[in-house]
Amino acid sequence: MSQNKNASSLLWGATALGGLGVLATYLLAGHERFWANWILWFVLMFTLGLGALFIVALEHLVSARWSVPVRRIPERIATLLLPAIPVGLIALCAIPVLYPGARPEAAHHPILAGKAFWLSLPFFSVRTLIAFALCVLGLAVLVGGSLKQDTTRDPAFNFRARKFAPAFMAIFALVITLIAFDWLSGLTPEWYSDIFGVYVFAGAFLSGLAATTLSVLYLQDQQRLEGVRGDHLFNLGGFLFAFTVFWSYIGFAQYMLMWYANLPDEVIYYKVRLAGAWRVITISLALLHFILPFFALVTRAAKKDPKRLRQVAYLMLGAHVLDMYWLIFPVLGKPHFSWPELSFALFFLGGILLWLRGAMEKGEDMPVGDPFLREGLEFRL
Amino acid sequence: MSETMPASERSYAVLGIFDTPDALMQAIPKVRASMLGAVEAYTPYPIHGIDDALGLRKSPLGGMVLVMGILGALTAFGFQYWISAVDYPIITGGKGAGSWEAFIPIMFEVTVLFATFTAGLGMLFLLNKLPFFGHPVLSSKAMSSITRDRYALALEAEDESFDSGAALRALQAAGALEVEVLPAPDRSPFLTSDFILRVLGGIFAACVVSGLAMYFATKWFPLLKPMVYMQDQPRLNAQKPSGFFKDRHGMQRPVAGTVARGHLPTATGTQDAAAALVNPLPRTKEIFAVGRKAYANRCEVCHGALGNGAGSLTAAYGGKPANLQAQQFRDYPDGKIYWAIVNGKNAMPSQAADLTDAQRWAVVHYVRALQRAQNAKDEDLKVATP
Repeated sequence: MSQNKNASSLLWGATALGGLGVLATYLLAGHERFWANWILWFVLMFTLGLGALFIVALEHLVSARWSVPVRRIPERIATLLLPAIPVGLIALCAIPVLYPGARPEAAHHPILAGKAFWLSLPFFSVRTLIAFALCVLGLAVLVGGSLKQDTTRDPAFNFRARKFAPAFMAIFALVITLIAFDWLSGLTPEWYSDIFGVYVFAGAFLSGLAATTLSVLYLQDQQRLEGVRGDHLFNLGGFLFAFTVFWSYIGFAQYMLMWYANLPDEVIYYKVRLAGAWRVITISLALLHFILPFFALVTRAAKKDPKRLRQVAYLMLGAHVLDMYWLIFPVLGKPHFSWPELSFALFFLGGILLWLRGAMEKGEDMPVGDPFLREGLEFRL
Repeated sequence: MSETMPASERSYAVLGIFDTPDALMQAIPKVRASMLGAVEAYTPYPIHGIDDALGLRKSPLGGMVLVMGILGALTAFGFQYWISAVDYPIITGGKGAGSWEAFIPIMFEVTVLFATFTAGLGMLFLLNKLPFFGHPVLSSKAMSSITRDRYALALEAEDESFDSGAALRALQAAGALEVEVLPAPDRSPFLTSDFILRVLGGIFAACVVSGLAMYFATKWFPLLKPMVYMQDQPRLNAQKPSGFFKDRHGMQRPVAGTVARGHLPTATGTQDAAAALVNPLPRTKEIFAVGRKAYANRCEVCHGALGNGAGSLTAAYGGKPANLQAQQFRDYPDGKIYWAIVNGKNAMPSQAADLTDAQRWAVVHYVRALQRAQNAKDEDLKVATP
């Protein structure tokens, strides 16, 4: 218990220290840098929460049984969407600073003038608010209903969730596409890519999976989640493995088509990211987000080895941070990394971990009211 | 009794039949502990945990698939790199020779191809040793119930010292409801290397025989033509000799001073001699349209849309096409322009192969119109009366 308290006060301390750094960034390092960092962490929190919510919805959509015993974990991670909403509301202040489409000069820009209404501050904000409202709806139905089922033990929730899941998939696609197009590719509004939303989805799902895997292993270390075995871990590992390939497939397909066509307004996105120090980051992204986890998880034994899974899950979360950094930070020019970025990382990581620790202690560790829990515990490969 | 047991009395295995998967699973460690032979289970459906209980080795298939997949990727990369960067380096679409980005889709496909073929064929032929002539267990009396609702455990003979009596007792002690001794088949049911060699040898021999037969058949009995009439007609063929003319050429030059039917006189002599030719085409809208189109297709890239020698290719080649608006060319008779189209001039190649007689003369009309348009006189401003 004392160790727990120690960890907790350490996290609070790190968050407070990071908070000071965040303030100092605003005052000393320039608004553009402050907002770029802010958007990075808003997108990271949001994609992590949404990715976790997607895992929950996926289980209901396909009536998966194996994942019932671990479902409470992504449900808890999905609640990160709640603190992500105020972070996102504050991020709306960044729109006139960082997003060229919302600045007054856009009216005279030959390309942006045609998209002026879509990129304008009011409509941008309205879309973000709609996305937030849809997320809260998804959380209320899928996570709220599941938590309530712990006490009511009412199987009606399963039917409701199964009916809601297909609708949520449409909602999810809309939300993640809006967030990806507005907040990420909105930084370079002359550039466009149809597949960009899917690319961000792949990263979001992977980060949700990695966080779920880590949390399952964390709870297993504390002798909680009794009955969750290597078979369950194998499925999580298999998903992680499969979606590293999916991410690189989408990422490379987008790159290759633009590289081939060589149209100036498309290829500029990669021109920036393949020049100077960004080139190193691009290559390491391919290594860390695809090559390394692919070969780390390729064998059957690795997918159920807790040690290996923990390493790969940390790696995937780190790679997702790098991925989003790679999408956002070229807007500032050359790669920035020093005390402002570290302060933001401390502040937000501390906050996220505090939130998740709180969530992990709340209520039951498994959906005990779910009639399929037993079947899920008996799952074997 | 002879000293060696006849083959039929040696046994392949002893089968013990159980009626629940649990009974089978409980029996496996006991039978394995007896160390009497290899333990194998036959069940109507996969049973969870049976691999671990039987102590099966990890399948080597995954490793084979990984190696072949990587080999596939390298093969595809190597082929494409060799073709596009070494053997015939060519720049397509502005991409340098050996652009790896373009190779990735093919590499992906070939990786999948190699990996799936290895997985499928490796499982069937290498690991499961298909095809075989009939597994000995298939001939057991219990086989029909094993495929339905019984679970069999087999103690299989590993060498000559296999004691079927002891195996029988071990299985019974482990709780088998029925036991059955399977006699060893008189020869291996699996494809032995000997058999495979004989099959491959047979195929090779058949290839050699048919190849030699084909070679000598075509050599000794030359090809007979079934229908000679159309192939060997008495007619003049292009580029072929003929006995009809004195010089034994199938193709003859046109007789000097003549024009073939349906053709216009053409310019074969010098440009000055061609000055006498007269444009046979009338100046109608249709003819101008033909000339304009032909000019746009064949002439404009160099001579320019206005005929002033500033075409879109001029800069790229660094040449200086004739400025048709120059006084020299405005003074040219029609025939000299026509001659240049037919024979080419300086760096300009002949257009004879690409433009028909009528098109050439139409271009001449069009060039005249271009020259007139750039050097209009006052009288040209008068509206033509219909």
